[in-house]
Amino acid sequence: MKKFEDILVQCIEDIKAGRSSIEDCLDRYPSMREQLEPLLRIALEIREPPDVKPSPYFKVKARVWLMDQIHERQPVTKWPWFRCSNWTKQIALRRRFSMASIILVIVLALSALGGGAAYAAQDSLPGDALYPVKLGTEQMRMMLPGNDIVKAERALSFAERRVEEMQTLAEKGRLQDLGLGVEGYDDALNMTLARIERAGDRGLATGNITARVAETTTKHLSVLDAVYDMVPDEAKAAIGHARNVSEKGYFHAMAALAKNNTVRAAEMNLAAMEGRLNRISIRARVGDAEGVEIALQQFEAMGESGEEISRIARETGINITSVEELMARATFGHLQVLAEAYDKVPEQAKPAIERTMANLMIRHQERVQALAQMGVEAPPPPVIPERIREQERIREQQMEGIPGGTTPPTPGVPGGVSHQYGPSTT
Amino acid sequence: MYQNNSEGQTSDEAMLVQRAIGHDTEAFGRLYDMHVDRVYRHIYYRVGNEADAEDLTQQVFLNAWQAIGRYKKMASPFIAWLMTISHNLVVDFYRAKKDKAYLEAEALADDSSLSPERATEASFEQQSLRRAILQLGGDEQQVVILRFMEGFEFAEIASVLKKKEGNVRVILHRALVKLRNTLEKERKQS
Repeated sequence: MKKFEDILVQCIEDIKAGRSSIEDCLDRYPSMREQLEPLLRIALEIREPPDVKPSPYFKVKARVWLMDQIHERQPVTKWPWFRCSNWTKQIALRRRFSMASIILVIVLALSALGGGAAYAAQDSLPGDALYPVKLGTEQMRMMLPGNDIVKAERALSFAERRVEEMQTLAEKGRLQDLGLGVEGYDDALNMTLARIERAGDRGLATGNITARVAETTTKHLSVLDAVYDMVPDEAKAAIGHARNVSEKGYFHAMAALAKNNTVRAAEMNLAAMEGRLNRISIRARVGDAEGVEIALQQFEAMGESGEEISRIARETGINITSVEELMARATFGHLQVLAEAYDKVPEQAKPAIERTMANLMIRHQERVQALAQMGVEAPPPPVIPERIREQERIREQQMEGIPGGTTPPTPGVPGGVSHQYGPSTT
Repeated sequence: MYQNNSEGQTSDEAMLVQRAIGHDTEAFGRLYDMHVDRVYRHIYYRVGNEADAEDLTQQVFLNAWQAIGRYKKMASPFIAWLMTISHNLVVDFYRAKKDKAYLEAEALADDSSLSPERATEASFEQQSLRRAILQLGGDEQQVVILRFMEGFEFAEIASVLKKKEGNVRVILHRALVKLRNTLEKERKQS
């Protein structure tokens, strides 16, 4: 006599294969009907899981990660101690070299065979059928021999490609594919930063590559600004996100660079701040209050980064005068640009400019004092727009009337800053 | 809808597996390409969110690479072996979390051929069933998933679990009884 579980399995198989129905099966085994029926019904209710697919980016990213790990960890063999001998180490090295050669040959073959998929894929864009081939080729390039700095450079070049792709997508009006481009950009920049971090951990010099990342992401920010202005409203969020990715990469690189070379970091940061000032001027000219405010926020964040560089210089005592001088002189120019923009922006953007200028002046004043203590001649005092000076006067009058001298918070300019302003000129 | 997803190992795949066992990383990369979707889907069903499914999926392949020498003597298809690694990782994952995360309603099976009312009802039933399946013990859960969701043959499941086919049938019977009890209890409560 058949066991119950064999009958159950037989019935399930027959029903699922369409060879019989539940009723047929229950009729065949009437004595087991009561026991069989609920189990059959449950078994038939169990379906294949929903067809959830991983994102193409995850697949590529995970493959890169996997190959990376694999090249570092050879499979566990039955006799682990055997692998430790010099002889097997040499074999392993040869194997790795030979693997790298194979990859190199594949990449070269794919690239050299004109008309081949890899070649054709190089111009593909996110959302194109050949785009995964392009990503696959990049992934292969990441697997080619090279230390972490070399690999960071490769990943950074992929990030540059992603920005170009976003620009082309926007020009072609393919807004639905922008998200994929942003995701790829984020991945490529993260890969770059991770490689730099690992290079640092391994004692490699990372100064040049971090400077390149800072410089490149500043450039990306300008390109993405142009794309942002070009796309319709529904696509602005995606490009806004891409700009955030650029900024994140920039600040990360800047923090690393500041530890290596404060003067270079300060110079690059000031150049990036000038880029933001240009953006402020451009958006002010077209009366784009929101654009001005976003650029001001970026400018302020870069200003914070400058303060961090200054703090590092003070802590290490290296190049402190050069850093402070550079920043003090630049502040003068920054205030001039902001003052010009101030006259052109719509009324609603004026408070944001006032806040930024007030903050700049506080920092400038502190810097001038610090330089004076070091015996360095201070740069000329900054120009303060009439409206801010007017507010200054109002606040001073208010302070005179308030016992204890507490500055009331005023919209536009943070309370308590006015007494720190330097002498104003017209 | 039922289909046997386990179509055995093609000669191409068998060759790639052999090369991977010989430490050929490129062959292993191709095996990854062939199976990553299915491993991900399996894990996603069990953990219910993208981030964990991604982390665990990549870990499955790394573990597979590190232990590929042990695959040599197994009679099961390579994908079944990957499923076993996935299962172990998911078990560890829940053990570490000491909690069970359930699939979001929107990620559950959606049969567009059903009327909206029936679809909602079906989705609800599938959710209950999924919860019940995830409450099964290790072997029981694996047998149900491998047989009914992944379409493996009993012989293949037996090979993966290192048990006799008869034992696998017994485990399946036990699992279905537990599912019935859990679902009945849930229906009474609701």
